[in-house]
Formats: sequence, structure tokens, C-alpha cells
Amino acid sequence: MPITILGIRHHGVGSAKNVAERLEQIQPDLILVEGPPEISEALALVGHSDLKPPVSVMIYNTENPKQSSFYPFAEYSPEWVAAVYANKNQIPLRAMDLPAAIGFQIDNDKKDAIKNVLENPETVEEKEAEFISEPINFVGYRDPMSYLAEVAGFKSGEAFWEHHFEKNYLQNSSSDHFEGVLLAMGSLREEKIPSSLEEENVYREAYMREIIRKAQNELYQNIVVVCGAWHAPVLEELDKSAKTDTKILKALPKTKIKVLATWIPWTNQRLSTQSGYGAGIDSPGWFEHIWKTPKEYDLRWLTKVAKVFRKKNVDISTAHVIESVRLAESLAALRAFPKPSLEELNEAVLAVMCMGDGIMLNLVREQLIIGKRLGKVPADIPKVPLQEDFERTIKGLRLPLTANAKQYDLDLRNDNDLRRSIFLHRLEILEIRWARRVGNKNKGTFKESWVLEWEPEMMISLIDKAFVGNTVEIAAQQTIVNQLDNENSVGKVAKLIQKTIPAELFEIIDVLLSKVNELATISADILDLMIAYPPLVQVSRYGNVRKTDLSMMQGIVDSLIIRISIGLPNACYGLDEANAENMFTKIGQVNEAVRLTDSAETDSIWLECLRKLLEKSGINQLIVGCTCRLLLDAQYLSEEATNQQLSYSLSVNNEPADVAAWIEGFLKGSGMILIYDNKLWNLIYRWVEQIGEEVFMELLPILRRTFSKFEYAERRQIGEKAKEGIITQDYSKVSDNQDNIDSERGEKALPVLRILMGI
Amino acid sequence: MNLLRQHAEVQFSEELAELKKQDSGHLPPNWMLSPQAVVTYLMGGKLKNGFEISPKYIGDRRLMEIAVATLTTDRALLLYGLPGTAKSWVSEHISAAVSGDSTLLIQGTAGTGEEAIRYGWNYARLLAEGPTENALVTTPMMTAMKNGKIARIEELTRISADVQDTLITVLSEKTMPIPELSMEVQAIRGFNVIATANNRDKGVNELSGALKRRFNTVILPVPDSAEEEVDIVRRRVASLAKGLELPVQAPALQEIQRIVKIFRELRNGVTEDGKTKLKSPTGSLSTAEAISVVNSGLALAGHFGDGTMNAQDLAAGIMGAIVKDPIQDKIVWKEYLETVVKGREEWKDIYRACRELV
Repeated sequence: MPITILGIRHHGVGSAKNVAERLEQIQPDLILVEGPPEISEALALVGHSDLKPPVSVMIYNTENPKQSSFYPFAEYSPEWVAAVYANKNQIPLRAMDLPAAIGFQIDNDKKDAIKNVLENPETVEEKEAEFISEPINFVGYRDPMSYLAEVAGFKSGEAFWEHHFEKNYLQNSSSDHFEGVLLAMGSLREEKIPSSLEEENVYREAYMREIIRKAQNELYQNIVVVCGAWHAPVLEELDKSAKTDTKILKALPKTKIKVLATWIPWTNQRLSTQSGYGAGIDSPGWFEHIWKTPKEYDLRWLTKVAKVFRKKNVDISTAHVIESVRLAESLAALRAFPKPSLEELNEAVLAVMCMGDGIMLNLVREQLIIGKRLGKVPADIPKVPLQEDFERTIKGLRLPLTANAKQYDLDLRNDNDLRRSIFLHRLEILEIRWARRVGNKNKGTFKESWVLEWEPEMMISLIDKAFVGNTVEIAAQQTIVNQLDNENSVGKVAKLIQKTIPAELFEIIDVLLSKVNELATISADILDLMIAYPPLVQVSRYGNVRKTDLSMMQGIVDSLIIRISIGLPNACYGLDEANAENMFTKIGQVNEAVRLTDSAETDSIWLECLRKLLEKSGINQLIVGCTCRLLLDAQYLSEEATNQQLSYSLSVNNEPADVAAWIEGFLKGSGMILIYDNKLWNLIYRWVEQIGEEVFMELLPILRRTFSKFEYAERRQIGEKAKEGIITQDYSKVSDNQDNIDSERGEKALPVLRILMGI
Repeated sequence: MNLLRQHAEVQFSEELAELKKQDSGHLPPNWMLSPQAVVTYLMGGKLKNGFEISPKYIGDRRLMEIAVATLTTDRALLLYGLPGTAKSWVSEHISAAVSGDSTLLIQGTAGTGEEAIRYGWNYARLLAEGPTENALVTTPMMTAMKNGKIARIEELTRISADVQDTLITVLSEKTMPIPELSMEVQAIRGFNVIATANNRDKGVNELSGALKRRFNTVILPVPDSAEEEVDIVRRRVASLAKGLELPVQAPALQEIQRIVKIFRELRNGVTEDGKTKLKSPTGSLSTAEAISVVNSGLALAGHFGDGTMNAQDLAAGIMGAIVKDPIQDKIVWKEYLETVVKGREEWKDIYRACRELV
């Protein structure tokens, strides 16, 4: 009963080529590949014409889909190659490893134990040792392969493996290849050099052997095992280890967890990050290239690179390609390699095509080295957890899927409605357009209205998000994080923060905050900072932001106003009308937000900045006027000083258009001050009086624009006041004489005031 | 000899000779050393017989490998980078190691004419004898072609564009036609060109597409780690202070570390702990500038201060190096002072000293 063990590296192209060749030679009657037994059924689908890699088997706890692991495959994954061979030739195929259910159970037990300790501090002492020993195990280990690498003069274990077992595939030597792998790994295992997953591996390998023994008992004659190289040597000693294995397996926890496995589409991007195997790859696109291009792969790679550049309108000639090939070859020779590898090719591209500039190489990395490929899965495979979570949640919230639009008015003080609102906000983040916010006339923040209208396509877009997360909550979180990666505007990130609050995605608030902090520092765009400031101030005032470090939030808000205040005077310099108007609105918004913070320090920084703005020359008068008004409102400028400013700005020698702009800024969309402050009224009145007819005609449109923004009632009052002309009698003066106050009449107003103020 | 500075091949003649003795690699035609040995010469290391080669370039070995590998192909090498990143230094040492001669040098300036690159005429002879080979004045470029050596061009981008383009024929056809004499000089194997240029200066002459295509570019970056940079600054300052006979003690390591830290943080746009992002000023803040800040601090302390360099002595130099653009850089520097320096307990002195100047 021969068993052939093929030690591979997950996603190793050289390994895959050798596996393919070796399988043809051996013609086995059973193939075992590494992976939890529960995925065997899913593996039977490999070779289905609609299952196009990169794809991943997702295996998850049916009760708690958050608990899941992924087993991604690319076309050149040795396991995939083995599965394709098995299904094509109708050879039985099984996955062998520790069942995922048991793995999940172990994780849960650990979590429970920790929780117990936290909840029952008395028992800490006994258990402490157990917990401390765990993380240390992870930290202390060194990549076992690095011992071999050191002896052979390679920089890392990775480089050693790459050089010996992946790069230089020779035809018809696969049996030698796997013997070599066994020998190398065997020598490490014999020395009992530990690997980082030591404890876990004891169980896993025992289980693997158990599965092989079972297969032998079923009288399979010619078994091929495809597994990670590290496990290969210990899977050979089946008889010797039978007894100890039984013991080890008995110690495993019993579990009632039910798991399901299904295929989901994967991307090259995700292949390049870590996954269930604990082995990610940096360059899926490159691997795909060498898998598909057996000959002259370097030359063909560089032609691809040239094509990518040309698409981006970078002039790359054939001569560039020729020179790159030459340089890559000389580099390989200099380093004593028979053929250039990706590193040499990258360096050649950098020196020849990119003028040494690494930014362009990023393009190659994104488009070719990682690649944009997205996998496909057949339509009839089982439901993904995200979909199940979605369906479970809407059932719980009693939000049926109906094609007819239906409006829901939610009262957020009601628990179920609050949860509905949170859920709908999360869907909004996921860009599933089922629910639409409709304006609510009631201004109270505890009311929200949504219109729900379901279309079948929405389910597809939901399934599309399956790889983002297994529950709506996690998927929404991940979506925000993904958006965050490409964002470099502070204002937009602040908006993202605003989105996450009603969706109650508190876990990622910290990430968002540090991003805002980071961006705010490097941003030279003051407007952007000013856009970001008001929403951040609002968020910082939310009392219910649980789990969030409010002090950090406060720090960011504080530093933001400092940055704005340093940069604002320069940013306002020499703005044209349109930009000035924009800036004018932003200044108003920031000012409002500053008032909200209710902090004396922030106030003084901001007012100081406004004062500088007032003194600086070359600022658009619209902004100067607005600044003056804000300072007056804040009682930073005395009335007298304001008067001086006003008459200075309105003096005859100024350009009429500037004066009109100043007034617009000063009044900032409200005529109130004109109605109640007679001094200012008189100043403006006199100014209107003294302008000549010609100039008046010129100014009229601008003034009209300013005044048309006022409320109708205000305009009427102003008009009536204008009839009176200069106001000499000062109504605004309040008598200082205490004796004249009629306290009895005053007291009558108190009850109403109490109601108004809610005392 | 009382020379202020020796050529690389003279100063390191012993190392070069030893490398040659031990060299077992394949020699490209007309090279003194194999490519592997040239890289060893640049990066330093121990030879088989225990002889120690001092490192000439402190940094990424891969860059030197690309540079040397380029010279084995028929493309020329362009060393590109910020001012003060050892471009000329590397170019000198590579040509010393490859051809044993680093003197075939053309200094590029706005006034460099074609005759500085191709050939000129000895006008007395030209008038007396007419156009003959004797009347020809050869250039380093022509000499390098004739002898199969490396020619160096410093500051390539300062040379005006039309003069730059005379290099195209030399680099692609490996020949220099002399139409006046109906003859040409064809390059011997081993000939190649190393040019240097900096990518920070404005108002330089961009290379034409045709010329760019004939160069492989290697960008020399600023030092990778803080220790590396502190090491470079300390060594160079110590040797310079000796040369200038400054009446002061060797600079305190702590001050150098601080300056390197400030420069690195501003250059990288992030504080060392990676927690705070920063704006970067317009200047390059190279290692060479850090060296000169320490030097001027030393001079200030020596001639006007109490002899030990302190924050006061350094403040002016630091600010001068960082604030190159009076408006933008000042904002950057102020922000840095207020958000980073102010918060560091042990940096109070430098904060105060700099605050006074802003």
C-alpha cells in the first residue's frame, strides 16, 4: 500500500508544476489534500466551468457566522491542481486536517476561559500560568527554514525555499523534487525544531495521520497526500504513531458546532494577504504569469510591464524592453542566479523604464504583480453567511422585503426602532439601496423616516459583498475601512465618521480618528480642514460614543482648530469672488462649531485668528466684513472699534464693489443687526446717502443680492426704518436707574420664562 | 605631498590592489575588477585572506548592484538624487574601481559647451596647419572612448539641452564623428558614462526623451536608519573639525542625534514613533546639510560661545537649513515646533532657542 507524500508550499508555482507532473506519473486511486475534512464536498466542485479562481472555500460556524476561516485557491495552488486532476479523472478526493468544528470549539473554549478569569478574579491565580505561557509560544519561535537558509547562505528561509523548490522547475524531476523536500523538512523535524504553531500542529498532524490510516483501512492502494512541506515528514510514520495519536485525539474537545463550507469569489488582492493557511503571497499576479508562461517568462513579463505603462501614456519603446531584459540578466549574473527573478526584473524596470522613480513601479505592483483578477463562483452554491445574517436580521426587526415602497417613521427612543435605524444605516454604508432616508419635518433628532423598496438585484449586490464580512455589521465596518484606505481628504473622512455614528460601528472609530489626525497634519488645504471641523465637533459632543477614547477625539478637534487658525490668514489671501464666497460660508460654519465646543481656549485661538485676518491686507472684503461681524458678536471687538472698522471700510475712497462685499459679509445673511443697532444703521444710512447716482446704479445689483437673502419680515422692517432716515433717538439705551424697575410686573413674566427654559 | 584631497584610486590604491589579487570573477573587457569585486569595493567587506575593505557607500547594496550591472550593459548610468546623497562620491569610486581612473571628468554647468564634451581646437595650430589631428584638443570623453574607460559627467542637467544631446551619438553609436577631418573616434570596449544629476533644483534642463532612454537611472536615497545617518554625520564632522582646527571639543553625540532626528522627521513627514504626521519643508534636508549645521554650530560655539556646543548655537543653523521658502517652510517649521518639539520634555532648550528666532 504505497503512500506518496508531496510536500508543497501553498500557492507555490514550482510546487504546483511538480504536483501536476507527479500525479500523472503515479496515477493514484485516492488523493488527500490538506484542509479540514468539511471542505471535501466543496472541493468536488473544482473543475466546474463556472468556478474560476481566485476563489476561496469559506467554512463557518452556522450559529455564529463571524467565526469562519478561508481556504483560498489560485489556479497555480498545488491543492487546486491536485483537485482538478482528481475531478477530471474521477479519483476520490478528500481533505485532511483537524476538522474546522473542533478548531472553532478550541477557540471558543479559550475565549470562555479568559472571560471566566475576568469575571471571577479569585480563580486567577490557578489559571494564570496557563495564559501567560501562550503568547510567549508565539513570540519566541523563529522560522525553522531559516536554519537551513543560514547554512546555505541565504538571507531568509523564504529565499532558500524559493530558490531550491519554486524557481527552477525542471521537467521530469518531480520525484527528486519531493524527495528533496522531504529530506530538508525531515532534517528539521528530526532536530525537533519548533515552529510557530507548534501546539496546534500536534493535533493537526495526528488528525491527518488518522485520516490517512482510515483511507488505508478502506483498502485504497495508491494514495497521494498533498500537504504543506512542514507536515510531510511526520505523515510517513503511520504505524509507529498510531497509539499516541489515539491518545492525542482523545484529548480534543467534543463539539456540537455545525459548520458549513461554501465557495466565495476571491481577489488577487486578498490572495496577497494572510488567510486560513497562515500563508499569504505577495505577488499573485507574478505567480500566475510564471504558471502560464513556461518559456521566456522574463521577456514576456517585461512586455506586459511596457504595455501597462503605455496604457498610462508613459512612452516606453521596444528598446526600453530590450535594455530591461539585459539589465535584469546582468543583475542575475552578478548575484549568481541562473535566471532573473521578480526582484531583478523590478529593479531593471525601475532603472530603465521609470527613471529610478519608485512611484511608477507601484503601478506595476498594483496592476501586474498583484493583479486585478476577481474570481467567480457558480450561481447555485449554498448561501453565504452575510446573506443569512441579513435575512435573520430583517426577520428579527420585522422589516419584510417588499417591492412596493413603504414608509417607516422610526422613533429612536424605542428599542426596536433604534435597532432598525442602526441596521438601515449600516446597509446604507454597504451601498445597498433598499432604504432611502426621507426628510423629516419634525426636527427632533429622535425621529427618522425611511422608505423601503426592495429589488431582487439588491440580493446580488449583497452577495457581492460576501467577502467583505460575514455579518452586516462587520461588512459595513470593513467597507468604511476600505474607503478609508483611498481617502486623503480630511473632510471626507470626517463625513465617514459621521456615518459610522448612527450605524453604531464604534469599533472602527479609533481607526478613523487616527486617519483624520494623520491627514489633518499633512493637509495644506485649509478649506478641507474647515469642512472637517464642524462634523468632528458635533461627533465629539455625542455623549453616547461608547468604547471611544473621547480624549483622543478632543485632542484632534483641538489640534484641528490650531491648524486652521495658523493657516487661515494665508489661505484667505487674494481670493476671487467665487472662492471668497466659499470661504465666507466655511468661516461661518467653523465659527458656529467653535461656539458649540464651549471651550474658552478654542474660542481665544479662533478669535485671535480672526483678528489677524482683519488686520491682514489683500483679503477679500466679503471675508473682512464677515470677520468683523463675528468678532463683534463674540464681543471681542468693542462697539466703538467696530464702528471704526465700519466707517473705515465704508469710507468714500474704497472701491464701491468692495464696500458692497464688505456689507454682505458683515450682515452675513441677516438684517437683524440693522434693525436693532441704530449706530450701525446710521453709519450705513449715511453711506448710502453719500454715494452718487452713478455709483449707486453700479452697486445696486450687489446690494440687492445681499438684501434679498434676508427674511421677508426683516426686509419690510428695514424698509420702514429707512423711511425714518437717521435715527437720533436711541431706543437701545436701557435705563441704568434701578429704581425705575417695576418688579411686580417683571415677576409676572417668570412662569412663562420657566416653561420656556424648562426649569 | 601636501594635497588637500587625493583621488579615490590613489587614496584606496591598497584596497584596489588587494581586491584585484583576490578577484576570481569574470572580467568584462577592459575592466580592472569583476563586477562582484566592484560591489565589494563600494560596500566594504572582508576578503578571503582577511583583508578589510572599508565601506565607501553606506546604504542599500542592491542599488550598487544595479549601478554596476548597468555598466556591464551598453547603457550609461545616471545617478539621481537629492543634493548631498553621495552621488559624485559613488561615481568617483565606481570609475576608480572599474577603470582605475576617476579623473576623466566633465563638470556640467550652464556654460558647458559642445567642445567640452566632444573636442575643441587649438586655434594657433588650426591657423598655422589647418584642420589636422594635431590641432584637435581632446576632451575627457574622447580620452575615455579611446582607452575604453569610464567618463564622468557631473551635474548633467545643468548643461543646456542642445549640448546634452551631443551625447546621444556617443551613447548609442559609441562613436564620435569629427567631420572636419573626415574621421571618427570609435569607443573601445569598456567605455561607458556615469552622469550625476540632482532632482531637487528648479530651473535645470530636463533630459530629452532620446537621451533619457540611453541612461539607466539609479536614485540614491537619503540614509535608511537614524543610526546610519548619525554615524555618517559624526564621522564627517569629526574629520572636518580637525581640518578646520575649530577650537572646540568634539560635538556631543546627543546634539547630533537631535539634529538628525529633526531632519529625518521633517524629511519623512512623520515623527520617529510614527504617531504624528508632519508637513515636509521644500529644502532637501540631506545628510550633508546636517553635517554643515553641526559644523556651523561648532564654529559658533568655538568662536563666540563657551566652547561647548549647545542648543543656542544650533538653532540658527537648523532654522537656516529648514526654512528655505520664507512663507511655506516657516509654517512647516512653526507647526513642527509647536506640535512636536514643544511636547518633548528634554527638548525644552532647543524649543526656547528656536522659538526666539521664529
